[in-house]
Amino acid sequence: MNGELLVFAAASAVAIVSALAMLFQKTPVKSVLSLVVTFFALAVLSVLLAAPFVAALQVIVYAGAILVLFLFVIMLLNLTQEAAERETRVVHRFLSAVSVLALGGILVGVTWRSGAPPVPVSASLNAIPATGVDGEIPMLGRLLFTDYLLPFEALSVLLLLAVVGALLLSKRRFE
Amino acid sequence: MDPLLFDAIAAIAKILFVWAVVLAALLPNLVLLERRGAALIQDRPGPNRVGPFGLFQALADVVKMFMKEDMVPIYADRLLYNLAPLIMMIPALTTFAVIPFGSQIPLTIGGVTHTIPLIIADVNVGILYVFALTSLGVYGIVLAGWSSNDKFSLMGGIRSSAQIISYELAMGIAATGVFLAAGSLRLPAVVEYQQTHLWNCIPQLLGCIIFVVSAFAETNRLPFDLAEAEAELVAGFHTEYSAFKFGMFFMGEYANLVAASALIVTLYFGGWSLPGLALTGLWGGIASIGIFAVKTFCFIWLFIWVRWTLPRFRYDQLMALGWKAFLPLSLLNLLWTGWLVLAGGGKF
Repeated sequence: MNGELLVFAAASAVAIVSALAMLFQKTPVKSVLSLVVTFFALAVLSVLLAAPFVAALQVIVYAGAILVLFLFVIMLLNLTQEAAERETRVVHRFLSAVSVLALGGILVGVTWRSGAPPVPVSASLNAIPATGVDGEIPMLGRLLFTDYLLPFEALSVLLLLAVVGALLLSKRRFE
Repeated sequence: MDPLLFDAIAAIAKILFVWAVVLAALLPNLVLLERRGAALIQDRPGPNRVGPFGLFQALADVVKMFMKEDMVPIYADRLLYNLAPLIMMIPALTTFAVIPFGSQIPLTIGGVTHTIPLIIADVNVGILYVFALTSLGVYGIVLAGWSSNDKFSLMGGIRSSAQIISYELAMGIAATGVFLAAGSLRLPAVVEYQQTHLWNCIPQLLGCIIFVVSAFAETNRLPFDLAEAEAELVAGFHTEYSAFKFGMFFMGEYANLVAASALIVTLYFGGWSLPGLALTGLWGGIASIGIFAVKTFCFIWLFIWVRWTLPRFRYDQLMALGWKAFLPLSLLNLLWTGWLVLAGGGKF
């Protein structure tokens, strides 16, 4: 058994277990924490795929900022176990089962079609720490400002709209 | 010797060296330094009874931490309560992995000369790795606050989570200026760049100030220790902690302090280099470690000095400073650096 398979198995197991823990946890704060662990495990998988930049961003943006914000809101509202136990309706359960199956089908289908990964994992893994050359980041930047300029700018406008919208909604409620 | 085996042994030796210096030599004595420094600033003797000049005070403090009764509140969430001090400590200690603490040391074994770079892991996302880890450190404080199941602790935790988001943004954008100038995210590349150019603190003075001040907020030190705020929240997030777990928070704060100082030195003050000095060979390597240590120590002292000089900010003042002053100013710094790089064709 080689090392990278071992790391892959461990990270995947942690990701799956913590994702399940996030779903079945009664306390909201612990759900958020399980999600942090999930994101961390996903970051490890990104490193295995020779994408340390994606891994770092995953941890900074999701684990480090967005989930801290989640935690802030949950703690501010002081959601307790009782508040989290909402009534569950049959319709809700049915709809969630359908959407889970649909999403799972799409994921399996896409993975099935794409076939084997383009780069053998062992080769890419050896290329990460030893070389220390930051090839992927300038490449990413160049792609963002040439081929993907329009989607990139459209996304930033979308985010800006969301921020302005959120501000407007919160202001209207308080005044 | 097999080069792979040699690399592994060298890496382990470097990790042991860095942790020994930080954990065993630096952390206990920083507590003493802080207390004596506070006394100096407040014009009183300070702890000077244990050993010559109070030098064994650190030892006495550690023994006291171990001997005290370890109390856990009945309504605390035991798992998270016990985990929180660790979460605060570990990110601070792993940050040192990507900080270059010296140039390099040549070592000849069996006629073959190996060059050991004095950095534990030269990963190509260096700065981002540091930000990723330090952004996780806040969970220690937030969880300590929540799991204690106590109003004061919870207030401290909530404040900390909001504070960290506000300051991390400005800090990250300020640091973007540094790697824009160096053209790389690797911290050794940032140091190399500063060997041939001005130190980053001169062309990017604004970014440097923002980064240093944000580091105070990031490490929860006065004037931004709103999570602790003993005048209003008893002891904030660690109100319910005692004995060794409290000691872990204490050590975690100083580990963060050392990490932040080392990072400031690396990003803005030339790292282990000094202008006009070519630090090569064995003695050059050792001298570079010394230079890095002295520079880092200067910033540790700055942190202590400020703590005993400035009063605490109010919470709304802290948020206003982060969002309304530092965020726009850090963007301005980025614009200025971009202009410098463009005007100098990447060389200024």
